[in-house]
Amino acid sequence: MKRSECFEFLAPLITDQLVIGSLSGQRVEWGHLCPHEGNLLVASMGAALGIGVGLALVLPHRKVIVLESDGSLLLSLYNLPTLGNLSLSNLAVFVFDNEVYSGTRISEPSATAGKTDLAGVARSCGIEQATTVREIDSFKREAEKALEENVLRFLVCKVAATTGHRQIERPNEDLWEHKYRFVRYLERTEGKKIFLGRG
Amino acid sequence: MELELAEKIVGALKEAGISFVAYLPETRLSQITPILREDGSFMVVPVANESEGVSIAAGASLGGRPAAVYMEGSGVYVSSYNLLVLGKRLGTPMLLIVAYYGSVLDKRNSFLYALPGIHLIPILQSLDIQYEVLDKADGLEDKIKGAVKMMHAIKQPVALLFTGEFTA
Repeated sequence: MKRSECFEFLAPLITDQLVIGSLSGQRVEWGHLCPHEGNLLVASMGAALGIGVGLALVLPHRKVIVLESDGSLLLSLYNLPTLGNLSLSNLAVFVFDNEVYSGTRISEPSATAGKTDLAGVARSCGIEQATTVREIDSFKREAEKALEENVLRFLVCKVAATTGHRQIERPNEDLWEHKYRFVRYLERTEGKKIFLGRG
Repeated sequence: MELELAEKIVGALKEAGISFVAYLPETRLSQITPILREDGSFMVVPVANESEGVSIAAGASLGGRPAAVYMEGSGVYVSSYNLLVLGKRLGTPMLLIVAYYGSVLDKRNSFLYALPGIHLIPILQSLDIQYEVLDKADGLEDKIKGAVKMMHAIKQPVALLFTGEFTA
């Protein structure tokens, strides 16, 4: 299964959900396939899940989708006990696990290439609906449930280590501009002011 | 810390508009946590790691709830990467309520705390995070209000370092 196949399935399903992404090729790939104003692609390892938790807490009526990677999640495993205890029903977490640090260009293996089972770690932290998928048909089935149902889902998607994202032209929007786009979208769709500084 | 001081801190946070607090408790200011939890105007989230506190507060802040992270001084070291990439590079307003252990005015200072205390302000300076040291209750409300106004103005973290009277 390729990550891009998963994204091609997910992208048309995005309407008013908020999508929080981490670093790696997935930021480039997702931003290219789904240039949605509700994207907040933070371009940093180990932060997307925490941001998603914060957003899901303060906007309980909005579906929040987090796109993580194995390397990024391994860097921030401390999120899982908190997530298990909060059990946020409006949050869906997708971990695209290619078992390597692909950014290294030599595809150094991550811990999930060895004995680490991220869905097992999540379940042991109290995240009941944590599962691993390896085939695109299983992904589609589980992803639809994650988007439709009002229950915390944690989906580890075993994907091939691909390099297709390197052929995609990178956006020149910097992170402040990206954040403003996201926040203005939220202000418009939530009908409230978020940034409170005044001129 | 005396209960009256803890109540004063929480009252000033509320008055300044803070409505979300992620926290990892510690020894100096922990009396504020039950008061925060009992006050219905705050959403209060315990975390396992200060880095996590910063990322969750960033999400809350960008979702429209003025947010704070309460941590020990050591938490600034632990969360410095997220403070840099989420606080500064992404530009996210949040208030850091920091127990300034190991400072000269820390009433419980010892060889355990002094070294991390000495390096705390240089760490904040290297991250270019605005900070204010509070060692007595006088002017507390104004300093908290000013720090919250500053975090909204610059859309970045602002730190309040509590020592002196707050560490008894």
